Amino acid sequence: MTTVFKLDDADIISQGAEAKVYHVQLHPSPSPRICIKHRFQKTYRHPTLDAQLSRSRLQAESRVLVRCLRAGVNVPVVRLVDLDGGLLGTEWIDGMSVRRILGGGDEGVLEDDDDDDVAEEDADEHLQKFAVTKDELMRLIGHEIGKLHLADIIHGDLTTSNMMLRTRMADAPAQLVLIDFGLAFNSTLVEDKAVDLYVLERAFASTHPDSEPLYATVLDEYARVLGKAWDPVKRRLDDVRLRGRKRSMVG
Amino acid sequence: MLSSYNYPAFNSLAHVALFDNVTNAKELRSRLISAATMSGPDGELEREAVNFAFVDASLVVSEMHLQTALLFALLADARTSLRTKTVHSEILWALNPTNNISEAIRRFGVSDSTTRLLVVRVCTPPTSTSPENIETALRTGVAGDAVPLSCLSSFTDWSKLTKYYKLPAGVPHERLIQIVESTVGAKSAA
Ligand SMILES: Nc1ncnc2c1ncn2[C@@H]1O[C@H](COP(=O)(O)OP(=O)(O)OP(=O)(O)O)[C@@H](O)[C@H]1O
Repeated sequence: MTTVFKLDDADIISQGAEAKVYHVQLHPSPSPRICIKHRFQKTYRHPTLDAQLSRSRLQAESRVLVRCLRAGVNVPVVRLVDLDGGLLGTEWIDGMSVRRILGGGDEGVLEDDDDDDVAEEDADEHLQKFAVTKDELMRLIGHEIGKLHLADIIHGDLTTSNMMLRTRMADAPAQLVLIDFGLAFNSTLVEDKAVDLYVLERAFASTHPDSEPLYATVLDEYARVLGKAWDPVKRRLDDVRLRGRKRSMVG
Repeated sequence: MLSSYNYPAFNSLAHVALFDNVTNAKELRSRLISAATMSGPDGELEREAVNFAFVDASLVVSEMHLQTALLFALLADARTSLRTKTVHSEILWALNPTNNISEAIRRFGVSDSTTRLLVVRVCTPPTSTSPENIETALRTGVAGDAVPLSCLSSFTDWSKLTKYYKLPAGVPHERLIQIVESTVGAKSAA
């Protein structure tokens, strides 16, 4: 892999097991800084195999983002795809993850110096700052996932960390943006949609106390968006829950 | 007249100008074609005089749209993987969603009927040509009114863009701009 961009450690926002996320002034100011995700090589895998895998994942991720935008799903705009360098450049979403808004902190994200009060974060304060109620926030989530599934796109890793609320301009409506489509794929299968929802349900349960009524509101709005398509997904979601419960009893 | 974008990572500086009421598009186009085959020192001079990306400004929705195509071209150039002859034609190629080079130039380049023109000159290294020389070349070459880049969004021809980018109907312009910019941004994965 040739590196063309000199990505500066000072711009690192988050460091995961497979990728680093940077906030970079790629285009000259006053153009906004963009978000660059760098999937680095895993040393324990075969190098050429790894390069191929990372190319095809990057290709899939960027294509799915464009498909989402075409389907009216809020996702970051694609700015750059560098298959040789393993880079995906997207619009930087100014805002906060739903996880953090709900008081769950921000997993893996390296905090700025002025944010050292994370431990005492208060959900009500965040909600106030974004001028939304908890109920509205849950509906925004259900709405976006509904549009996604109607377009036959499966996110593959729905968590409250992978959705952000945009900082609101003047009197613009609140906007929820889905991020991290690294595991996304196209599917018309009811099973895939149900599993996508179940993954989010588990994420809610494990990171947010008293998540049940919250998640019920997410599903309520999701159902409204899906219309006639909701019934089969609902039935399958019940199945998936049952399988999940059995598995956890055995395991 | 010129806006300049500095790309230190690519050791490049791009100069951009926007023109309205252009009256010599036809002449520009034939100069571009003949410059390519002229020989001798006259050829050198003529090629330098038209060494720009001449882009139909009605098909560029935002400065970011242009910058996204420009970055694509700079990256391809840096990796010596240009699909077209020059970094300038690569910008046109990046703007067109298909893989057809002559189609990209026909659609996004200057045509006989072009009246709004976006002109880009990439200098690698940044000092390879002075901005004064570039301005002089544009003053003598383009018959039209230089206008600020901020006029770009008011020039947009949505019906052509809808056809070229296969844009969905009944969608606000704000979203269409996102789709158009993303299509260029994801071009290397298309
Ligand atoms: N477009 C964006 N705008 C703003 N912040 C972003 C953007 N993309 C990612 N981030 C920030 O970087 C973090 C990690 O990004 P992302 O989830 O895409 O990377 P990842 O390494 O695949 O993460 P994970 O390991 O959780 O799957 C996000 O939680 C978010 O805080």
